[in-house]
Formats: sequence, C-alpha cells, structure tokens
Amino acid sequence: MALSADDRIADIVTARSRLPHVRRFLNGAPASRVVGLTLLALVLAFLSVYPLSMLLYGSLHSTPPGVAGVFTLDGYRDIASQQNLLTLLNTVGIALAKTIPSLILAVLLAWILARTDTPFRGTLEVLVTLPFFIPPILTAMAWGMLGNPQVGLLNQLYQWITGSTASPINVYSYGGVVWHMMQYSVPFLFLLIVDAFRAMDPSLEEAARMCGATRLRTFYTVTLQLMLPALTGAAILSFIRGIENFESPLFFGSPAGIHVITTDIYDSINQRSPPQYQYATAISFVIMALMFLIILMQWRILRGRSFQTVTGKGYSPAVMKLGRWRWATFAFCALFFAVTVVLPVSQLLIGSFFKFFGFYEWEMLTLEHYQAVAGSSEFWRAFGNTMLLGLVGATLTMLLGGIVAYVSVRTKWRGRRLIDAMAWLPWMMPGIVLGVGFLWGFALLPHAIPIYGTIWALLLAYISLGTPLSVRVMSSAYGQLSYDLEECSRVHGAGWLQTMWRIMIALVWPSFAVGWVLIFFGIMRELSASVLLYSVGSEVLSVVLLKLWANGSAEQVSVIGLIMMAMVIVFRWVQLRVIKRWIGAL
Amino acid sequence: MFLKLKRIALAVLAAGFALPASAQDASWDSVVAAAKKEGKVVVYNMALGAPYFTAVVKSFEKEYGIAVESLDLRASELVERIRTEQSAGRYLGDVEMVTTTMIEEQLKNGDFIQKLPPVPNAANLRPPFKATEHSVPAYVQPMGILINTRLVKGDDVPKSWNDLNSPKWKGKLLSDDMRPLGSGNTLFAVLQNNMGAEFNEKLAEQKPVFSRDMRNDARRVARGEYPIYITQVFAFASDLKGLPVKVIVPQEGAPYAQMDLAILKNASHANAARLFMQHFLNLDSQALYANAWMLPVVKGAAERADPDAQPYANARLMGMAKLSERPDMMSLAKKLYP
Repeated sequence: MALSADDRIADIVTARSRLPHVRRFLNGAPASRVVGLTLLALVLAFLSVYPLSMLLYGSLHSTPPGVAGVFTLDGYRDIASQQNLLTLLNTVGIALAKTIPSLILAVLLAWILARTDTPFRGTLEVLVTLPFFIPPILTAMAWGMLGNPQVGLLNQLYQWITGSTASPINVYSYGGVVWHMMQYSVPFLFLLIVDAFRAMDPSLEEAARMCGATRLRTFYTVTLQLMLPALTGAAILSFIRGIENFESPLFFGSPAGIHVITTDIYDSINQRSPPQYQYATAISFVIMALMFLIILMQWRILRGRSFQTVTGKGYSPAVMKLGRWRWATFAFCALFFAVTVVLPVSQLLIGSFFKFFGFYEWEMLTLEHYQAVAGSSEFWRAFGNTMLLGLVGATLTMLLGGIVAYVSVRTKWRGRRLIDAMAWLPWMMPGIVLGVGFLWGFALLPHAIPIYGTIWALLLAYISLGTPLSVRVMSSAYGQLSYDLEECSRVHGAGWLQTMWRIMIALVWPSFAVGWVLIFFGIMRELSASVLLYSVGSEVLSVVLLKLWANGSAEQVSVIGLIMMAMVIVFRWVQLRVIKRWIGAL
Repeated sequence: MFLKLKRIALAVLAAGFALPASAQDASWDSVVAAAKKEGKVVVYNMALGAPYFTAVVKSFEKEYGIAVESLDLRASELVERIRTEQSAGRYLGDVEMVTTTMIEEQLKNGDFIQKLPPVPNAANLRPPFKATEHSVPAYVQPMGILINTRLVKGDDVPKSWNDLNSPKWKGKLLSDDMRPLGSGNTLFAVLQNNMGAEFNEKLAEQKPVFSRDMRNDARRVARGEYPIYITQVFAFASDLKGLPVKVIVPQEGAPYAQMDLAILKNASHANAARLFMQHFLNLDSQALYANAWMLPVVKGAAERADPDAQPYANARLMGMAKLSERPDMMSLAKKLYP
C-alpha cells in the first residue's frame, strides 16, 4: 500500500514520540544535558586537572605536596637562563626537524596505500606501521650497533664498498636523534591520517580533474586541503611528542652533548640531589603553555571551515591506477619497511638467539633467552596485567575520547571547548613529570578511596594519558562526517542512541579501531607513570622490561620486544580485515 | 680451699657471660616468632630484580616461611615514593635497601626511617663497615676500569688510575657522565679526593666520551667501539664471561657506593624487617653477592667467593662520595666538562 507524504511524516512523528527521553536529550533539554556534561567534566577533571593541579602546586611551592614549605616562584625564576634558552631552541628545532619530513613521508605512504593500486598494499600497510610498536630502547640498541662511527655495520659496509676509511654515519648526533624519532613518528602519523585518506569521497578529486586540474594540483588543492584537520591535528600531536621525546635524545643526543628539555627535566629529578621537583614542574608548565598556544593557533586556522568528505551520497572509495608507476610506489614502501624494520629487527632477532647481543659466534648460539622469558612467572604475571589493562584501558579511553570528541565536534553546546581543553591537558605534560603528578594525586586521596597501590591507579593513569590521542583520532573522524547523515537519521525517526550506533559509530569505527590499537600499544609501552604507580602484584610489561634492561638482560628485552611485535602483526591484520569488510559493505 | 674458690669464681664468671647471651638468644627467638606471626615483609629496594637479590629473598622465604614483597624502583623514584606515601600517612614499606647517601639525605629531610633495633649479625661486619644508629651496611658496589682485551694488551693495560691520562688514550675513553648525580660523578668525586685535583684536570683533557647507559657501555667496549670504559661497576661485568673484556682494579683502589638497610617509619612488619636484615647479613647471603662481584660486608664471606670473584670481593677500596661534597663536586665536574 502506497503511503502519502503526510502519512510518512505522521509515521516519523509517531516513531519519534516513542522515545521521549532520548528526544528530550537530543533536543537539548537543559537538565539532562547539564548533568551529562557535568559528569563528563568531573571525570576529565579527576583524570587530568587533579594530577596537574598537584604538579602546579609543586611548581609554586618550595617542597612537594605533603611537606612543610613556602610558596615561591624560584622554580620559574631558575628557568630564565641562557642555557635553558639554548636547550629550548634545541628541543623545538629537533621536534620540527623530525615532524616535517615525517609528515611528508606519512602523507606519501598514506596516499600510496589508501588511494592507489600499489600491489600488496594490505600487507605493506601492516608492515610500515610496525616500527611504532617496537620499544624505543630496542631500536636505540639496534641503531647504536648499526650506525656508530667506530664499528657500526653500515659504516663497515660503506668502507668495504668504497674502500674509504671514512665513517659517514654517526647516530650520536643531531641527525641520529632526529632519525630515531622519525622511525616512530612516520608510522604514528600514518596511522592517524590513513583513514582520512581512505574515507575521502573521490568525486571531489574527480571534479577537480574534470575541471582541468593536473594530478599535482588536484592533490594540492583538493586532497591535501580536505585532509587539513587530520593533518594539522596529527602534525601537532607529532610535534608535541617530539618535544616530549626522551629516549632518542638520551641515547643519541647526550653522548654528543645535545641537550633537550626532557633530558634536562630527567636530570633535575633523577640526577640532582635533592631532586628539583619545583624546577622540573615549573619548566613543564612553561612548555605546556607554549604547546597550548600552538593548539590555539590550530583552532584559529581551522575555525569556520568545513572538511566534510563523508556525506549521505553514495560513493565508492576508488583507487587511482598508477600503471607501471605502481611498482615504484611499492618499492618506496618496501624500502621504508626495510630501513625502519628489517634492519633493526634483524639485529634484535639475531641477537635474541645468541648468548650476548651483538656477538655472533657459533658457540654462543642459544635458546636460553626464550626459555628464560617463557619460564619467568614475573613476565607472565606482567603480561596478564598488561593485557587486562590494555584491553580495558584502550576500550574505556576510546569511549571517553569518542564522547569528548562528539561533544566538541558535533555539538554547539556551551562548555564543549572547556571539555576539549581538559582532555588535551595530559598530552602537553612530559610523561616523566606527569607520572609524579599521578603519584602525588592518588597517594593524597582520602584513604577511603582505595586507588593508591592498586591496579586501578594504573588504569586511571593510562586512561588519562591516552584520552588526548583518542579525542584527536575521533575528532578527525567526526570532522569528516556530514551533518546531513545525522539529521537524516533523526528525520527518519531514529532515536539519539540509534543514530549514534547506526550512523556515527558505524562510520567512525575504523578510526575507533586505529585509535584503540594506538592506545593499546601505548599502554604496553608506558613507563613513566607505571614505574611510580605499580605495586607488588600489579607489575606491567614496561616495568619488567626496565628491570631486565637495568640488569643487563638486553637479550631477554629483545625476546619480549619480538613477542610484542608479533602481537602487533596479529592485531593489525585482524583490524585491517575488519576494516576491509566494512569498506566492502559501505 | 683456694681451688674451690677459684672454681666458684670461674663458674660465676662463666654464668655472667652466659646469661646475657642466652637472654639475647631468647629475645631474638621472640623476634623470630613475632616475625613469623607478622607473616610478610615489604622490602623497598633498587635492585631492579637483580638475580642475586632474588636469590636472597627466596632463601629467606624458604627458611622462615615469611613472604617477601619486593618493590624495586630506580633510586629517585624510590625516595619520592617513600616520601609521598609517608606524607599521605600510608606506611606500606617495612625495610629499605638504598645507598648510604640516600639514607643521609632522608635523615636530613625528615624522619622517614626509624632507629635501628639490634641485629645480631651486625656484630660480624668487617672493617671499615659499621652499623649506625639508623642503618646497617648491606653490600658494596665498587667501580674499576673495563678494558677490551683485544685492544688493550701487555704494558698498555692500565695499573693505576693515572695511566688513563696517558696521551695514547686521548679521545678513546668511554665514561658514565660525570656531571649529573650517578656513578660518573661518584667516581669523579672520589678520584678528586684521593688522586688530587690535577688528576681530574688531566682526565678532562683526555676528552672522555660520556654516555648514560652503563649496561650497554660495557658491551660497546666488548664490541671494540672504545678500548676502555672508566666507570665500570664490577658486578655489571660479572655476567659478561666469554666476551673480550676484563675489569681492572687499579692499585690505588676502587671508588664505591655502599648500600644500607634501614627500617622505615611505622613499619607494619618491624620484626620481619629485622629478621630480613639479619638474613641479609648471614654468610650465605653475603656469599651470593660476593659471587656476583659485589663486595660483601661481613667477615668470612669474601673468602667463600668463587676463585674468579675473589679479586673483586677482596678489592681494595678507595672511598665513597660524601653527601656534603655533592654540590661542589657536581659544579666542578660541570666546569671541567662544559
């Protein structure tokens, strides 16, 4: 029986009236919205503002919380020195020097693997992201052997080929620090932007081509412009991570006299007597203020512009045919994989089968490191704890990030900027300092709140540390969705929850999955907060790795690193299979 | 008559000596019983899972049936954790094993540890080690010179710290950074006090290369990146058997860091903490450390070490860094190594 337009409207109205409470929320009934937003703000305040307020107190007080002292500005006064200015310039310079080439490489890789017909791109996508998941301490160890000027394998290879005695590669230099950082930032940026490339409607590019634009101009004026929120957001995250990076400057910068802010903070806490918490927290707040300015700039740049590429109109995410050039793009990806993964991981893999890492003699071949790891009850306990914290932590973090991003990007509610900013805060504080903030914060809670010394302390810290990333990932995904999809669903009678589930969550699910993997492995690697908050029985893998490293068991660290890599491959493979199915169903 | 009197006098004398001893035994037995009743002890330490520490913990658990919860952190994190917990009224740890200077610092900054009750095995400490009002030495971590035996041979092998200042080693010395707090600065301070200011000035002219990764540095020397590493903790080389490296103990002696045991304020398992200290200072536990090339602190333990560990367990000591000199030594190191 055909229905008239009036009947259909009547049906929609009836359907909508079936869900009065959802409609009330949807229509912005102040009470429910205020309660929801207040709850969200309270959660974020506890996770980020509370530990940071402890640190702020520490920066303004002559002693840490709980100890008698006076309020002074000495910490901030000590920052103002010529040496610190040089350190700041070094830090910003290195962060920029690694972000710009990393972004270019990541865009190129994302475009190749998401928008072209390059062969084996499914496999390549898993492979090029692997470096991100290798513990930095392992790649530092591997590159220390590959690229040191005295006996580095790469220098020896160069000398063998050219007959020269020169050593062109020296990882203990600015270049070495930047290179080591880039191995993490390229796959990190790639993971953040690849789905934006994948989800883009190619009709926009086709329109540009139809209007006579060249491939290059189309890429520059359409593709790149549409990717702007995802690219700037990711680049800023990467820049901030560059400023906060600790392992690369410690391993490759310090021996060459290159100092950055994180090594300065590390020194002020770990290498001065007594530890200079006031100075460390003060300098962290100055850095935080600088980073906040960068984020404000991003907001201003992107304000009022639309970047929606996923609309209600059907499209097929077609790939560009490259012809013979597809083997060139394949070679490019394979080369990236070879240099960033095959070289250092081969070192790790080979090293794990010898008694001593880096000493390859027949009589030293052994499986003892694998046996030691397999037989270690501490490893298995830490493995279980880490898996539990990773699975629960990543899921909760992504859910929280999804809610914050939705409020921030998809609504015009008052207070959304504040919520977004609160979620950002932990990202802007170096991990070494933030760990202390959590320790102070959780220990000073009333004893009736049993968080300190339990696995909950770790879980809450991980959620706090991961939320900025989950918000960025979900914001970029939401930013690409046209409002007409949501409105259309609502007009057709779907409730708010139904719209969220069937439209919003269904469309941003690939980004959710990518974010989940990033957060999961972030939790696996997190050390700064873990080492301060773990307790007997709640050990995690990163703490076990630290202990093994501190005891000279580099080989067992390699074994665990390889296990972690195997897990990444499985996770990414499953994830890409699911995404592929989703793309197919779209 | 005289003989009878003599016998009585001797018996009284013997009883005089024997009574306090048996009273002491009885009182220690009550400590052991109370410790077993407490059932566990929480040990805050910076061993970071070292196998010799784990072995001592296991032997304690086996002997007394008391569970040990070991929380091992890096030095600065351990001190901050104790400070934060106690400020918040959370007294979770019972006993700590940290450096002497960290204990001095804790005493200077507050009352984080309590006065040490008697620990019988402290009577067996060998000179120059002594228990203090608050702590008892646990073991010693000395430093020497690590050489690559393929690159440094014959007469080139340094015998004295002064040999490092030979022109042939210019630019070829690897060292832990001497400017921040740590092994590098400890070595700098002890050599400044014992070898004279001129020694450190000459060493600075040798342009040693600084690193901050002590475990990896020994392997860099083994691989031949550098022929000599000048801040080698003996024990960190004990597990490198089979590699072309050797630890040299210079004739003047070895700078060292001393680890002490102390009972934390308001410890919930104070008797078990005392028993753990007593166990740590017994010959078997100390021999475990001696075999890992640490220097034991009780009499008779060094002699029980394996032959390859003997030179290190009996090494001549030069001195340790002092808390009071720390700021001056750190600024001097920064001046010499800008």
